[in-house]
Amino acid sequence: MPRPPSPSIPEKEFVYGALKQSLRLDGRAMLEMRTPTLSFGPELGWVECAMGKTRVLAQVDGKMVKPPPERPLEGIISIHSELSPMASNEYEPGRPTEEEVALTRMLDKVLRRSDAVDKESLCVLAGQRVWHIRLTIHVLSDAGNMVDCACLAGIVALKHFRRPEVEVEGDEITVHHPSERAPVPLSMHHTPFCFTFAFFPDAPPLVDPARLEETLSAGLLSVALNAQKELCVVQKAGGSPLPAEEVLAIMDIAVAKARELDRLVEARLQEDWKGRVVEVR
Amino acid sequence: MSSVLPGELVPAQHVNLKLGPGLLRQSSLNGQPLVISTRAGEVHHTTNRSRWWIEGNSRRYVPAPQESVVGVVVGRSGENWKVDIGSSHTATLDGLAFEGATKRNRPNLKVGSLLFARVSLAHKDMEPELECFDAQTRKAEGHGELKGGFLVQCSLKMCRMLLDPNHFLFPLLGSRFPLESAIGMNGRVWISAKDPRQVIAIARCIEAVDPDGGGMDEAAAKKFFSTLDV
Amino acid sequence: MSSRIEILNDGGYRSDGRKQYELRDITIDLTQQGTADGSAQLTHGLTQVLVTVFGPREAKMRSQTLHDRAVLNVEMSVAPFSTGERRKRSRADRRILEMAAMIASTFEPVVQTNLYPRSQIDIYVHVLQQDGSLLPACINATTLALVTAGVPLLDFVCAVTGGVHSTSPLLDLTTLEENDVPHMTVAVMPRTRKVTLVTMETRLHVERFRELFELACEAGQTIHREMKYAVKDRTVALVNAMDAGSKGGAADDHDRDVVMDDRI
Repeated sequence: MPRPPSPSIPEKEFVYGALKQSLRLDGRAMLEMRTPTLSFGPELGWVECAMGKTRVLAQVDGKMVKPPPERPLEGIISIHSELSPMASNEYEPGRPTEEEVALTRMLDKVLRRSDAVDKESLCVLAGQRVWHIRLTIHVLSDAGNMVDCACLAGIVALKHFRRPEVEVEGDEITVHHPSERAPVPLSMHHTPFCFTFAFFPDAPPLVDPARLEETLSAGLLSVALNAQKELCVVQKAGGSPLPAEEVLAIMDIAVAKARELDRLVEARLQEDWKGRVVEVR
Repeated sequence: MSSVLPGELVPAQHVNLKLGPGLLRQSSLNGQPLVISTRAGEVHHTTNRSRWWIEGNSRRYVPAPQESVVGVVVGRSGENWKVDIGSSHTATLDGLAFEGATKRNRPNLKVGSLLFARVSLAHKDMEPELECFDAQTRKAEGHGELKGGFLVQCSLKMCRMLLDPNHFLFPLLGSRFPLESAIGMNGRVWISAKDPRQVIAIARCIEAVDPDGGGMDEAAAKKFFSTLDV
Repeated sequence: MSSRIEILNDGGYRSDGRKQYELRDITIDLTQQGTADGSAQLTHGLTQVLVTVFGPREAKMRSQTLHDRAVLNVEMSVAPFSTGERRKRSRADRRILEMAAMIASTFEPVVQTNLYPRSQIDIYVHVLQQDGSLLPACINATTLALVTAGVPLLDFVCAVTGGVHSTSPLLDLTTLEENDVPHMTVAVMPRTRKVTLVTMETRLHVERFRELFELACEAGQTIHREMKYAVKDRTVALVNAMDAGSKGGAADDHDRDVVMDDRI
């Protein structure tokens, strides 16, 4: 697999020089994120998240299956993510590249292992039928920081999705069509958001790196947390070493950003929900 | 100026007809030559109707001889440099194709250096070749290594617009602060100014006026420029 | 229901008899393994890891080289008998690939790769026994293997896991504790006290995180001491062996300029 071309020397020098003066290429402040634009599809659970030119599509659907014998009381959540070459020049179909592995693991940790969705509420009939919720993430375009964008798209899709209501009488299960009974939202324990910080030699850390900033960074630190100040995932996999105080300072910045983002997501979801007509027969 | 889609007939007729990019001559059933367009865009022709071409937009560069391009050095093979110009193959640049270069006195390029060069050979079956001087006069004519500054990627149409002396963008920016630029026909523009803020402003203006990224007209661009911190 | 094992009982003792901040026994074996340029076998209690280093050597694929630095290539394999239940893990297991990528990126800024352009340094990690704190064991063993291979490093990298049980922080967790409490792995460079790696996958409040993080950084210093002793012992043995060969027996003290400075 050919290596992606690294940036030219003038680009490198300019970016480092500009960052020393806290200037970013797209005119943002060091700690300014690109405001995410969330668009919802006609179906429930279909969300496209765009942060600048980085676009990610997330879609949720659910079906009922028989649970595995070792966990008869819990539902199943599976996440499928694909980095097609559509996203960027450098990705090839088939073989998972390093970036794809990093994205998949991060999504897994933030959305599944952090217990965002209450799995026990997905159980319909113990040992017989549980809901299998499938989240599919497609990265449409990568202009930097697709991890944050994908996590946001995923969590908003899970919050947007409604599953059909199910009635259980003894051993009989009746699945009600959405037109008969209003579908039910997934029960969520909490809403994690992911923030990636890039740091450079001799410059303060910046939030939401663009493509060139990501490639030239000395290291990346991803923090996923919810608005209740609980950290779900912290990932600094190498990169240049940071003093402990800087890591803790970054945590504080992330806490503030999580609150802001939570408000924005709630407002967007409310707006979209008002626009949908729910027919009650 | 009408816009056409691929496959449409273009009424190009002249004794010394020369067809530019996007047009193809085909012979029809009754032996008469037909000219059809192969790209989507606007049909243009010279006033005496002898030269016709299609003005379209694209991002991928196809090398054509005598065009000036901005390239990045990606390696060496023997005495030649391998330069990436954004085309389907990496181009080669002879180590001696610089002004005043001899076997003992060569320019010291590194992997990652930026160059402003001219395409000397662009054949569809061969790798493109570059040169950093005019082969006849052996003078640089502005070509060579680009030091400092920053590189902006844009669409091919934008480069052509920037090269047009009547376009508004560079005079607008230049009236505020001095700037240097090298515009490559391959969708890459090198820009340089004293203050990094000015360079960032130029880069953002180019992206905003680019037809791919919105295509601001002069009035909107003026407003946008006035909001930037320079 | 099965009886629940107490993570931390009222007397301050953990399930394996350790106190809250006590680290498990560390044994380090730096004897040469086969033809490897460097190797180290490290155990943290019952977690045992063997790392072998080859390099810097010629890269297998020219296209994968960098023109100005060496490439660090980490491959990890977990033995099927390493856990309680026998389980064969494929090489392309996402978790293993991720751990290998984390080890590689941890050592990128530490190894002086700019001294060996267009070459490759291969690090092979073999997990022989797992009882919690797997990533720190791999990182510590890799540091030692690189030291024995003579690859120039800017500093050691010492790693440890930490967890919080209700409000009490614990260090160096076993599998039992990792499955039960929120935990994190921290790797520090002891001389500058800077952090090279932090990972956490479980939910933890920011305040608890702060406490635990600072504690784990301190624990890195303790691990560094153990690693230093092991390396010094080996170096002393090597120096003695070199002397014995050249001098032919008689110890010439004034010719020895090996300075073992305890301040380092």
